[in-house]
Amino acid sequence: MTVLEFSTPRVAPFLLGLLRDPIIWLILLIFAVGTLTSEYYFTALNIENLMRSIAVIGLLSLGMTVVLLTGRIDLSVAALMIFSVIVGVVVMTEIGPMLGSRWLVRGNTYAGPIVPVILIALATGIAVGALNGIGVAYFKVASFIMTLVSLTALRGFNYVLTNGHPYYLKAPFYSWIGDSKMVGIPISFVIFLLVLLALMGFIHGTMRGGRFYAIGGNEKAALYAGIKTQRYVVLAYAISGLCAAIAGIIFTARLKSVDAPLAAGYELTAIAIAVIGGSALAGGVGSPWRTLLGSVAFAAGLNLLAIWGVGTWYQNLAIGVVLIISVGLSQMSRKKTQA
Amino acid sequence: MLKLSRRHLLKTAATLTVLAAAPLAIARAAAEESVHSVINALIKKYSDEARAGMSNGDVSALFEKDGFRDYLDAYPVGDLAGGFVWKPGMGASFVGPYSKLQIKSPFTDYLPLTEGPVLDHSKKYRIGLVFHGFNHPWLISLADTAAWEAARHPNIELEVIDAEFDDNKMGQVIDTWIAKQYDGIVLWPNREAPMGPPVDRAIAAGIPVVSLDRRTSSEQISSEVLGNFYANGLQQGLYLKHAAPEGNIIFNRKDLGSTADSIRTGAFLEAIGNTPGYKVLANYHTNSQRTLAFKSTADAMQAFHDISVSFNTGGEEAMGALDAIREANRLNSAPGGKKIMILANDDAREVLKEIRSGNIEMVSPYTPLIGDIGIRAVVMHIGAKAGLNEAPPKLIMTPNLPMITKEKMNIEGIETLTPDEWPYAYGPEVAG
Repeated sequence: MTVLEFSTPRVAPFLLGLLRDPIIWLILLIFAVGTLTSEYYFTALNIENLMRSIAVIGLLSLGMTVVLLTGRIDLSVAALMIFSVIVGVVVMTEIGPMLGSRWLVRGNTYAGPIVPVILIALATGIAVGALNGIGVAYFKVASFIMTLVSLTALRGFNYVLTNGHPYYLKAPFYSWIGDSKMVGIPISFVIFLLVLLALMGFIHGTMRGGRFYAIGGNEKAALYAGIKTQRYVVLAYAISGLCAAIAGIIFTARLKSVDAPLAAGYELTAIAIAVIGGSALAGGVGSPWRTLLGSVAFAAGLNLLAIWGVGTWYQNLAIGVVLIISVGLSQMSRKKTQA
Repeated sequence: MLKLSRRHLLKTAATLTVLAAAPLAIARAAAEESVHSVINALIKKYSDEARAGMSNGDVSALFEKDGFRDYLDAYPVGDLAGGFVWKPGMGASFVGPYSKLQIKSPFTDYLPLTEGPVLDHSKKYRIGLVFHGFNHPWLISLADTAAWEAARHPNIELEVIDAEFDDNKMGQVIDTWIAKQYDGIVLWPNREAPMGPPVDRAIAAGIPVVSLDRRTSSEQISSEVLGNFYANGLQQGLYLKHAAPEGNIIFNRKDLGSTADSIRTGAFLEAIGNTPGYKVLANYHTNSQRTLAFKSTADAMQAFHDISVSFNTGGEEAMGALDAIREANRLNSAPGGKKIMILANDDAREVLKEIRSGNIEMVSPYTPLIGDIGIRAVVMHIGAKAGLNEAPPKLIMTPNLPMITKEKMNIEGIETLTPDEWPYAYGPEVAG
């Protein structure tokens, strides 16, 4: 049959490659241990919890992966995910009175239309990401410094714009994003999968996407090959900003509020997941698909520890150990490939 | 002639003694109870006056800018559950299971549960306590009291998780306990807004939830064990008014939006809002961190030469402020060569030591030793769900506690206590 003849050669190596991937076995091991040791692990409710966790950290990590591919880093993602939503709410509460409506009601509850808030948040994410990219690509600021400055500034802006008070976001559509399910799958996870597919399509399915690898692998060679590297660096940061904004929307939709200090330190989790997924901090190695696996392994492992009732100090210790092992394995496999 | 036997005489004497003692006991109880009601009456008085207007422009501007009215209006002030009357000296003594410190917990007789198995003796009850900060002296004491109460009942299994000041993590912990079908949840929320939805999800899953100290945005929550934030801020204001009718104030405050900051600072501003002599010099958010309070106070020392009052929303902040003032050698640099007045909350042992030494003027006790009330309340809710007992009230007020000063004082009817009269201090012992 034509279809089989066409698809088998493509699917089989993929599956074989998958089975050779240690992270797949790690995920299967976590699930097996979880199922054997707790009656609550492999339940619909817990899997839902797991998918919701993956959605937020996975989105941040996807954006981080694209930036890491270019050999750079983005420390501003967690601050930006909150900032973008705050900007959305603040802009709309300023627009409200111009239209004769008061959209911030008693108790700091946002009562205006929510779709414009989402659109403004997405635009803010892209814009701030692009600004980071411009600073890094055109003004040659080290990515660590540029995004660290952004992180600090955005956290400050978050307090300035909210005056330290939370905004309650109780619109039905927002609650739908945070709480609803589609065929048993949380909407937030569906959104994450859509972003993942789009990124995989772009990075692996287009020539432009492939250039991120070229830049991360050898930027000078990419430049001499005629690739406008600066534009791609800006694009990578803009994608990271967009992913952060989407993460911010589903994160705050679950909490039904946005508050300046939320998600502190999540940028480190995003980096950890991308590294666990095999992204190299030096650039040129990694993929959205493997970041998905990293997100699943990370969230499933933490969830298992939580189900066992392990304290967060030990959870942090476990993250550290897994991260060291992942970086070590990644280095070893790199040396092997180079040899 | 009336004949009285010896036995009859003894019985009559005993009856008379009881009758004579009863009014005394009632009067004493009333006097002791009045600490709570006296402070509640003062809260009402100053709140009403502030609502009518504040003559102090500086104080009024800060009050308006940070929107304290919304928070203060929503914070409950009222009577204690079950007509409980708290008296100094009440409560149990034990070693904290986590801190390993000697604790005297004041409210162990409030909504009491008899030691031994609870509810259905054949059943194991799994209760989760999620809070932030095993490394924080106030918070570890809160966990200590909860663990102590749980340990008194062999059929309670308590899981304690530190969410490390990550609201989302706390929500995930609650979601995990929902998946594990826990019988009850007790939480110490850091901020109100993000913790409402997880609490609502637990309630929807049929799990009773009790919050301790701070509030959540949930309207469905089973019970809230509320501290006496209002009494704290009010007493700081009353002390200041009593000690100095004018002064330049710097503020070291907690997170904006936290109940502790909203109510304490709001109540302090209400108390001083109609005294024109106070000026707000600087306003910092040092988020319960001593190091940040030290830094902000040190900055203020550089910026202003005429600071007369350091208002601190918490004990950690007060200690940071004191350290900075001491390091700058400015303890007696208030106008007129007077000492800079340091107003504190939270009755940590080290704060009491500084009161004894005269370095901190007053502290409004805010005891962390209320975790046990949360455990008892959630057990009662679990029992009420099974029809075994009545549910406790939704709002469980804890008794207003009088301020602690170096010498005994009477400030607007509040009899202050000295550090030696306060056995409930928390935190590590300090030398001297």
